[in-house]
Amino acid sequence: MRAREPDDTGYAVVDGVRTYYEVFGTGPTTLLMMGTFPVVDGRQWKGQVPYLARHFRVVTWDSRGNGASDRPAGPDAYADEVYARDAAAVLDATGTDAAFVVALCSGIKWSLLMATAEPKRVRGLVAIAPGVHPLAPHPHPLQTVDQQQWCGDFAGWVDYHSDVLLPEPHTSKVFEDLVGWSLQTDAEVIAARTHAPLRPATEDAAIEMSRALTCPVLVLHGSEDNCQPPERGRRFAELTGGRFVVLDGVGHLPHGRHPVLVNTLIREFVDMHTTRSPQRSAWLFARERKRRALWVCSPIGLGHVLRDLAIARSLRERVPDLEIEWLAQPPVSGVLRANGEIIHPASAELASESAHWESEATNHDLHAFYAFRRMDEILCANYMLFDDVVRETPYDLWVGDEAWEVDHFLHENPERKIAPYAFLTDVTGFLPIDPDNDPREAELCADYNSEIIEHLDRFPYVRDRSMFIGDFAELPDAPLGPGLPRVREWSERIYSSVPYVVPFDPAAYRRPAALRRRLGYGTGYPLYVAAVGGTAVGRDLLELTAEAFALVREDQPDARMVMVTGPRLHVDELPDVEGMEKRGYVPELFEHLACADVAVVQGGLSTTMELVAARRPFVYFPLANHWEQQHFVAYRLDHYRAGVRMQYAATRPPDLAAAMVAAQRSRPAYRAVRRGGAAKAADQLATLLRR
Amino acid sequence: MLRSASARGTVGPVRAREPVRSGYAVRCGVRLYYEVFGDGPVTVLLLPTWAIVHSRTWKLQVPYLARHFRVVTYDPRGNGRSDRPSDPDGYADAELVADALAVLDETGTDRAVCIGLSMGGRVLLQLAAARPERVAGAVFVAPAMRMDLGLPVPARWVHPFEEELDSSEGWAKYNVHHWRRDLGDFAEFFFREVFAEPHSTKQVDDAVGWALQTDPETLAATHRAPFLGDGSGRTEPTVSDLAARVRCPALVIHGSVDRIVDHRTGLALAEALGCPVEVFDGGGHCVHARHPVRFNLLVRQFGEAVAGARA
Repeated sequence: MRAREPDDTGYAVVDGVRTYYEVFGTGPTTLLMMGTFPVVDGRQWKGQVPYLARHFRVVTWDSRGNGASDRPAGPDAYADEVYARDAAAVLDATGTDAAFVVALCSGIKWSLLMATAEPKRVRGLVAIAPGVHPLAPHPHPLQTVDQQQWCGDFAGWVDYHSDVLLPEPHTSKVFEDLVGWSLQTDAEVIAARTHAPLRPATEDAAIEMSRALTCPVLVLHGSEDNCQPPERGRRFAELTGGRFVVLDGVGHLPHGRHPVLVNTLIREFVDMHTTRSPQRSAWLFARERKRRALWVCSPIGLGHVLRDLAIARSLRERVPDLEIEWLAQPPVSGVLRANGEIIHPASAELASESAHWESEATNHDLHAFYAFRRMDEILCANYMLFDDVVRETPYDLWVGDEAWEVDHFLHENPERKIAPYAFLTDVTGFLPIDPDNDPREAELCADYNSEIIEHLDRFPYVRDRSMFIGDFAELPDAPLGPGLPRVREWSERIYSSVPYVVPFDPAAYRRPAALRRRLGYGTGYPLYVAAVGGTAVGRDLLELTAEAFALVREDQPDARMVMVTGPRLHVDELPDVEGMEKRGYVPELFEHLACADVAVVQGGLSTTMELVAARRPFVYFPLANHWEQQHFVAYRLDHYRAGVRMQYAATRPPDLAAAMVAAQRSRPAYRAVRRGGAAKAADQLATLLRR
Repeated sequence: MLRSASARGTVGPVRAREPVRSGYAVRCGVRLYYEVFGDGPVTVLLLPTWAIVHSRTWKLQVPYLARHFRVVTYDPRGNGRSDRPSDPDGYADAELVADALAVLDETGTDRAVCIGLSMGGRVLLQLAAARPERVAGAVFVAPAMRMDLGLPVPARWVHPFEEELDSSEGWAKYNVHHWRRDLGDFAEFFFREVFAEPHSTKQVDDAVGWALQTDPETLAATHRAPFLGDGSGRTEPTVSDLAARVRCPALVIHGSVDRIVDHRTGLALAEALGCPVEVFDGGGHCVHARHPVRFNLLVRQFGEAVAGARA
């Protein structure tokens, strides 16, 4: 899923060739994100658009030859001058008189040509790895697509080319994106562009054109750029009188690999040159500031928010003058609001993680690792929002409960940390689901783990507290990857352990009969309750459960079932079964699960652990390709000797019916859940807020 | 005891940064002592303010800014090492504007990013309007301007200045007879008003020490001088007229609890200039001295933006 959809799309036409554009956001200042060499389309700016569109109007377009734009034949159709006309046509088509231009590589030449033709249209130029080729020779020119060895092997050339552009470690997702975009076109188009007439053609023309540029210029150039020698960037900056920023250790695509830095530099540059509009900002004398925390709560499932509420309540007892603001999205924000918590208004601008997870899930199957990996754009957009929020208001503490975007980008950009920061999690590594059949997954998981390990070793000051929710004995003892430490050993080194936080007093649930009477269920018959949490992912499981319950009724005619579909599934979407009551939403869902003779649930951590704490029998289905549910939750439940684990794909209705009946007759002998988790977590947070 | 006048004179002889050059600009026989710090293509001119203090009021700015810009400061006529003319007309705004130009000339400075504090902001507005080619950017800090905002009369104007008063309490200290008797007492009171923030004893002590480097008669002359908007009935442009003539980038900085110049003045000036305004919430009249880190960072950012901007 994209982090932000365009507000307008369309085509600009030059000589009958259509160029596809997208427009995001509104405002008096437009940023034109230039096209470039057609191995990518406008999506190359996906790390920039969601952030920049919150501050400016942003226009992107697909270079002819890629994306949704046309692919004319022959080199002349891909001339620099033609691309410059396409860019101007996009400005015309979007009703843009003038814009700040953000360009990469060849896009800088097109910007220059456009500015030469119509100087007033370019208000400023951010030139990333400027490819004004006559300004400096290339010591090692890249191989072209029509060289002998790539003949008939476009995919091979794409791999080679993408690899050369990305020399940085931990770049697998950017690489994958780049390959994907490149494969949207073909060797003919790339060869045509490679042999297209280039402008400016000579050094003298390039010097003259660069000197004639009157707008402000910012040049960003990676020191390890294999496509455009940094000397071209330095010289372009010198000739245009622009600011030259060398990005040490960076390759050709800083906007892809280092989006936070590039986004910040672009915004600063544009702001600097548009300050005539009156604006008021305020800085509050430090001693007059209220004690204030910003709490970022992961929206995946409701487990995080319930434990966060418990910890926040304990924290307020310790620091009574503390004000907590939450950066959270539905469904978490709804729970917070219902509990009287303050939702930061910027929360409304968060890109939806829940929608992303739903879009990734089918048939009780969610490949959580790949889905997480494909959430890169959303994570970057949401980090940038966080980065804005913490610069607008001074906070005394940031808390991130599995706020992976905050944690990742703070370690990538440690200079952005300006407050104490505590990170909480119940999962401490990526473990592959199917290493035998999917070696790439295993390789990627190891790469992600090694990046996190490096981050935490190199920048120990980024996290002031790292809390693992649970005992270390609840962690699987699996390796994080070849040559890497094991999950438990590494976690013991990095984290402090906080007992599992149960958001209620388990003693209150020790007498299910009383609870059943209170909820109006009565006693004297087997009661089954099925629930799948806050997403539509569990529909298949509910259908299976309904069929199984029909079989249970054959064995236990007086059995009843309550099936809770959750807010995102309509009850009518599920079959009717004798003795089964379907409910869309029940307040205090857990009470209903806790008074059941058997609960049927997904493999999410919170619900299953609450059942452990309440000592109720349950059958659970981890999502098939969900590394957390399959590894971490399953291991933890085994540690507590709790629950009957079943796999959706291998379970037929009679299997489930048998498991339900067997569970109904069992006596749970679970290991006790240690108490006081919320208080212990709050103790640690409080030390960051006062002496 | 925290604010005992006995603590005066705590300004040590060692400075964080020494000037690379110093000297005098001379105008109509009046010598103005200037200092130049650092080097570089962009000059920042830190204008003097009311002669109750001198250029050392910028002591927390100079060492930092001089690492990024060439910095010029000078003592106002009436204090520091500059001369002290006795005629009130010698302290008219027009003279103060001309002094700034004389220092720019003498230090070989074609253009500068200028910072004007309080009264210095009023001088800066007139300088930037009259000589736009000399002012690359203008930062107005708690600018003391008379604008038609319906604000209450400043406390310092409430009591007659020239008359012998029964009282010497509060703003009744703003009186020439009281100054002659005990200038230090007035200065102590005045700077406690200036530094409305708690924990400002060092700032108050410094400023009182500088005040005692001038004398009651000189300070009285500055009070009697004509200034923009003094209500004398002269024909002169308004603040809005002048603001409309300012072509350079500008920034207004104002503390929200300023007891000397109501911060709505700063907001109004920013609106007239069409420029950003940075409010220091909980800040008093001299935020540069009380909140130097934030202030310095803003000025550097502004200076670099101006330096980076091309036509």
